[in-house]
Amino acid sequence: MEEYQNGNEGSFNSEEAENVVKECIENIVGAEDYSQTQVNKWTAGIVERCLTQLVKQGKPYKYIVTCAVMQKTGAGLHTANSCYWDTTMDGSCTVRWENRTMYCVVSVFAVAVV
Amino acid sequence: MSDLLKDKSQRREKRTVKVPSEGSHGARGKEATVRTKDSISIVSSMDELGHHDDNARMVVTMENTYQMAPYKRFPVPAVEDILKDVLTNYLQQEKYEVEWSQKMTKTICEVIRARVKDLMIPRYKIVVLVHIGQQCGQSMQMSSRCLWDAANDTFASYSFKNSSLFGVATVYAVYFE
Repeated sequence: MEEYQNGNEGSFNSEEAENVVKECIENIVGAEDYSQTQVNKWTAGIVERCLTQLVKQGKPYKYIVTCAVMQKTGAGLHTANSCYWDTTMDGSCTVRWENRTMYCVVSVFAVAVV
Repeated sequence: MSDLLKDKSQRREKRTVKVPSEGSHGARGKEATVRTKDSISIVSSMDELGHHDDNARMVVTMENTYQMAPYKRFPVPAVEDILKDVLTNYLQQEKYEVEWSQKMTKTICEVIRARVKDLMIPRYKIVVLVHIGQQCGQSMQMSSRCLWDAANDTFASYSFKNSSLFGVATVYAVYFE
């Protein structure tokens, strides 16, 4: 019983998730310019890679990973999120990344499974 | 005299042990008061004290409900109607402005969350995501992937656009086992 119940490890570690996400973005879109034909592949790739890296941590969480890639034309973009969950166990992390030709915003939400 | 002293010290020992055991377990306290004359009971109650510490660390916060699936599922069409309603009402005649958009994104997020909560769907955790952006002829792609229980968890999404701005709202619903 004592081994099974490892106790409350604490809430979601958002710093660790941020590092994982940054590394995924760099690997997939790091040196590229915005391309309409490839953006579909990029967003799918970023999201899938983030998810597999997070799952490898082996924590008891369900994950929602969202990615938005936008071309740089001087247009504005605002994003907000609001969550109804258990604040002690669940958490989220958002990473903003940009290069010369595009913006990339990735959000990770982790919902605990008892 | 020495016997009396020994008796007194024994009684002191019994008293000091008795107090914490009453504090920890109500039931145990009753047993201790009955057996105060028996020295063996003191030792056993101390062991139980130790046991109680272990139990305090391993306290189970939730009991088993034996529920295999949600009684009430997340109503995706109803939520899509809510998203459509909220986005259209707030953004229909508006033009993109930086500060207004910033406030509006947060407001819309909170309004959607409140309305979905009003549907009173038990045991579901909600995540609401809203994006508002300016329309400048730029290209944009949004995608999301989720690791969850596909039988119980779901999402609803709606996008709105007019001549100067676009708005996208997504609601993810995750079942809490």
